[in-house]
Amino acid sequence: MTAPFTRAQAEDLLFREALMIDTRRYDAWLAMFTPDVEFWMPAWRSETETTTDPDRELSLIYYKGRRNLEDRVMRLTSGLSTASTPPPRVAHVVSNVLVTAADADMAQVSAVFTCHRFDVRMNRAECFFGRYEYTLRREGADWLIARKKITLLNDTIPTVVDITSI
Amino acid sequence: MTIDVSAYVDDRPDEGIFRVNRAIFTDEQVFEAEMARIFEGGWVFLGLEAQAPAPHDFFTTFAGRVPILVQRDGEGTFRAFVNSCPHKGARLAQTQAGNARLHVCPYHSWSFDSAGRSKAVKWQKAGCYSAAFDQQDHGLAAVPCFANYRGFLFGSLSADVPPLAEYLGEAAKLLDLVADQSEEGAELVPGQVTFTYQANWKLQLENCSDAYHFTSAHPSYIRVLERRQQETSGEVVASVWENSDYWKEETQGIGGGSYSFPNGHVLNWGVFGITPAIPLYESAAVLAERHGEGKRDWMFNMRNLTIFPNLQVAENASSQLRVIRPISPGLTEMRTWCIAPKGESDAARRQRIRQYEDFFNPTGMATPDDTVSYENCQIGFAGTVDPWLQGYARGMTASVEGGNRFSDRIGLNPARSVLADSQLCDETLYHAYYRAWAERMGDAA
Repeated sequence: MTAPFTRAQAEDLLFREALMIDTRRYDAWLAMFTPDVEFWMPAWRSETETTTDPDRELSLIYYKGRRNLEDRVMRLTSGLSTASTPPPRVAHVVSNVLVTAADADMAQVSAVFTCHRFDVRMNRAECFFGRYEYTLRREGADWLIARKKITLLNDTIPTVVDITSI
Repeated sequence: MTIDVSAYVDDRPDEGIFRVNRAIFTDEQVFEAEMARIFEGGWVFLGLEAQAPAPHDFFTTFAGRVPILVQRDGEGTFRAFVNSCPHKGARLAQTQAGNARLHVCPYHSWSFDSAGRSKAVKWQKAGCYSAAFDQQDHGLAAVPCFANYRGFLFGSLSADVPPLAEYLGEAAKLLDLVADQSEEGAELVPGQVTFTYQANWKLQLENCSDAYHFTSAHPSYIRVLERRQQETSGEVVASVWENSDYWKEETQGIGGGSYSFPNGHVLNWGVFGITPAIPLYESAAVLAERHGEGKRDWMFNMRNLTIFPNLQVAENASSQLRVIRPISPGLTEMRTWCIAPKGESDAARRQRIRQYEDFFNPTGMATPDDTVSYENCQIGFAGTVDPWLQGYARGMTASVEGGNRFSDRIGLNPARSVLADSQLCDETLYHAYYRAWAERMGDAA
């Protein structure tokens, strides 16, 4: 009998993901996702509601499949993107982690985040904040991210928000 | 306030010289005059009819710095008002959009019906008002000119403007190419994206028309496209560029060009062809039947349209409607939407949205490389050793009066045109912006 997924395990996974992004270990970050991951940051349709149907409504980011995240990483690290060079310095704080549902092979986790970003190019600091909803899936001994939904609460974007700042 | 426009725009066509002074992007007085004369002194785009589809629906926006309420009454008639209570000036409607038979000011409860008429001044009888006050109109101030061109709503805070049809002129036919993609017209896909950049509004004006930057500013995006092109996976979205090579440096022959129109409206365009990578493909046959092949083919062309000064419709990687809102000389807000023909299939809509997000969003892979470049320009504009920029000279010997065989296909009569191979990258279309700018700014008394 497998023990249910605990909050300590969830925190460990989420904190590790944040560390990989903050320290720009993108290969290790990508390895935390399932190949069929849904990575979704909806847009807001009004002051109070985000969009809910990524096929009929706009998202800020929507990808099905890890290979799309690999594209984003390729662009970030290519040296060919003005907006990504030099890279901003980021620090994520992930908190209020709750396991909202779990069985032997799946877990639902919610959390809040703030991401502080220092844009060295423009000498300005910004803070982005919102909520995470994860679906985690057991793959052998590992738990991988099968779905990550990011609700960005301050969605007036100051010039750029990349996958490293959310 | 008098602006000496020759200090900012050096336009000597006979000598082959067109230059813009960096100060046009940074000067506070120029900005104040632009707000007064251009954004608050003439036609600006307010929004789409489809943003308020039902009786009593409204949406809010800005004309320059002035908050605007665009409202349908109970019969469905549109009007535009200054979104400000006549009592103390408080902003009346607080949300981007909504439905209201009655707007009640949250400050002192003055109320207005959906036609902008005063419904009540709270405790008016007990208010010991003078007769003069009681005789005043307490309704909302209407925007002096308001007009609807095929679902595109425009307003002017100055009454001294030509009719909208005259202001748009031939460029209206380019709005037709957007409106006619469906018999029901165009709509905005739910989900608005707003971003800011720390640079002047005219950088956005120019960049939309700028073919020269694409391979320089977006090589990382082009590399992603090339990588996606090599695989046939359900997880990647077809790019509209995949069957087109007009932007590739090795391409030979005419692939597009530019048209400019009076009053500062411009289009740059490229041939895409009728390809399944374009969401409109499902309607290719019916659109040809309905509008003729010439107009249908134009709907499939890459088109970046600016209706001066604040509306851009970009149909390239996907389809975007943008509204430019200048905040200060060095700060601009962009409100952006995915614009789409009503009634398209679920598959086409999904494809359009996916193509849109990656390219157009400030959270995507292309737009940030533009806006960061605007910010680099704004920093560089402080350089006054040689204040005159050299970015308005490409195409000078290719620009001709009138149209060409491509514009003839839809009976379009531009003031000037350039036919271009992939490396010409016309910069003379910016002349239309700055000539309109000089005309509007120069009649300062």
